[in-house]
Amino acid sequence: MIDLSDNLLLGMSVALSLQNLTLCFLGCLIGTLVGVLPGVGPIATITMLLPITFGLDPVGALIMLAGIYYGAQYGGSTTAILVNIPGEASAVVTTLDGHQMAKQGRAGVALGIAAIGSFIAGCVGTLIIASLAGPMTRMALLFGPADYFALMVLGLMLAVVLAHGSVRRTIAIILVGILLSTVGVDLETGQDRLTFGWNEIADGIDVAIIAMGMFGFAEILRNLETDQSQEIMKARIGNLLPSRADFGQSAMPIARGTLLGGLLGLLPGNGSVLGPFASYTLEKKLAKDPSRFGKGAIEGVAGPESANNASAQTSFIPLLTLGIPPNAVMALMVGAMTIHGIVPGPQIITKQPELFWGMIASMWIGNLMLLVINLPLIGLWVRFLKVPYRLMFPSILLFCCIGIYSVNNSAFDVVLTVGFGLFGYALIKFGFEPAPLLLGFVLGRLLEEKLRQALVISGGEFMTFLNRPLSAGLLALAALLVLIAVLPAIRKSRDEVFQSAD
Amino acid sequence: MSDPSPERERVGPLIRSPLDLAGGLFLIAIAVVGYAGTFSLSLGQLSDIGAGMMPKVVAVLVGAFGCILALQSFVVLGDGLARWGVRGPLLLLSAALLFAFAVRPLGLVIAGPLAFLVAALADRSTRFVEAVIAAIVATLFCGLLFKELLSLPIPFDPRDILGFLHGPYDALKVAIKGLVMAISR
Repeated sequence: MIDLSDNLLLGMSVALSLQNLTLCFLGCLIGTLVGVLPGVGPIATITMLLPITFGLDPVGALIMLAGIYYGAQYGGSTTAILVNIPGEASAVVTTLDGHQMAKQGRAGVALGIAAIGSFIAGCVGTLIIASLAGPMTRMALLFGPADYFALMVLGLMLAVVLAHGSVRRTIAIILVGILLSTVGVDLETGQDRLTFGWNEIADGIDVAIIAMGMFGFAEILRNLETDQSQEIMKARIGNLLPSRADFGQSAMPIARGTLLGGLLGLLPGNGSVLGPFASYTLEKKLAKDPSRFGKGAIEGVAGPESANNASAQTSFIPLLTLGIPPNAVMALMVGAMTIHGIVPGPQIITKQPELFWGMIASMWIGNLMLLVINLPLIGLWVRFLKVPYRLMFPSILLFCCIGIYSVNNSAFDVVLTVGFGLFGYALIKFGFEPAPLLLGFVLGRLLEEKLRQALVISGGEFMTFLNRPLSAGLLALAALLVLIAVLPAIRKSRDEVFQSAD
Repeated sequence: MSDPSPERERVGPLIRSPLDLAGGLFLIAIAVVGYAGTFSLSLGQLSDIGAGMMPKVVAVLVGAFGCILALQSFVVLGDGLARWGVRGPLLLLSAALLFAFAVRPLGLVIAGPLAFLVAALADRSTRFVEAVIAAIVATLFCGLLFKELLSLPIPFDPRDILGFLHGPYDALKVAIKGLVMAISR
């Protein structure tokens, strides 16, 4: 415990510097804005803003990027409640009861409880990270290459199970991501792979380029084809502060949501997407009168919103302790860290404690800031929603172009991004979900590296993956997951969970 | 898959899921490119994996999934092909390409509005005057943010061909900076 408080103190001393406070605030502000605006996701934003962080020191850069990430999670709920459009995919569940509350003139209460629930969840999430980081890091040091390989396989399988689409298609798209990760000079033999004579990609394709193409450009294309005209709430937002009865009804859902989301966020394969869904289902099951759900039940806002924010926080753990990004946004954080010369993994906490604890402390401060930003500024966010999409998307495109150009000062990168935009558009049109590709891409390189190391150590003995108890256990779990995913009975209930959101 | 096509198109007697067939063929195409691109690289041995092992194995797997999808389209009833937009992708992606080719020689001051306006054409509801104003504002904002505040090395003005504008531009810049300083005080 003394360790923990010492570490948090160290973190506070870093996070409370004027520069880092400002960056944290900026990140939260931009993140909330992004979350509010439909059609600009956190993935595209972080890519766009990578160049902005070049001039900063690594701690400040990561604090700001993290702020954008959880700010966006937070802001997504505002549009979900007011406009019935989830600003972020994770806010889908909030539309169910949140928008109903708004229709009943209780928009303010819904926004208020979402903000308060998220704040509590964020605080607990930060504490979970702080207390689990040490043990997880020590555990990570026990991992050999074979175990790492097995863990990544498990993570990818989890991503398959949790993805929206069909199991077959998701596995295929992850494999395409891994294939893309092999582009460039092979580090061990120095041979060109899949570069087709282009020197520009000899070092491999930048993760920012794929992310921007597939999530920036392709997302705009997708939005252009759907009707962007929105019905903005004309009704009064009303009192923001929930009444005592509201608090009473929400207290347990917030606690349960926080716990559920916090646990799911730890999973290495994008478990965080499941948090809000799981919480909503749980609250509906526990409720005395489940028929209230979908008609403006406050528990249906409080629980999922807390779960969402808690899992957003704890999904940093696999990245910071094991060096394995659990979802696409964390994959971009790896890119950001690499730009600043930081290798994510268990060594961060020992070698750069001020970076590690500074980032964690900033998350708590950021959550406090979000509470302050979100509630009084709701009127401002609503006004942003009135900017027509026809003016917004060319601006987004311009920002994307400047951002991607500035990552390497290369016009070729912009052209390559256009290529990936088209590729992403094609994937969507052929019925593939693009997010798992990015995860496969980022894990692909690590996967190959660890596979090679493990086989060199074992002298080419493939059984090494099954002889080591850790890797054998992880692989068995992965196999079990695939089995579960294809079993008809469980597939059905999984589809139902997702269906209730559509 | 609910996303690509809400309305199910008429499904022929032979192909029961056109979307799966197209998706499968797409995967097979990716696999062929992946395998062909690493054809000459060696697989190596298990104890010493060569450069070709990972891409080839993965390409074969991608191809296998492509085949499964393509074959199941004859058996399992599924979605029709989604409709592809032409105007949106064409104009938006050309806008980005224009930016790529214009930014080095001409600078952001030309490339920015150019990309903005071409992109804006992708949406039918765009109004000309409004878009021009927005393009100028967005470009100036980006110039201020990326060039002046963050000093990224992105070229802003076409110094090479419009050298004679250099003097007035610098004077304007100094004036704006002075103004900003005065306000911030």
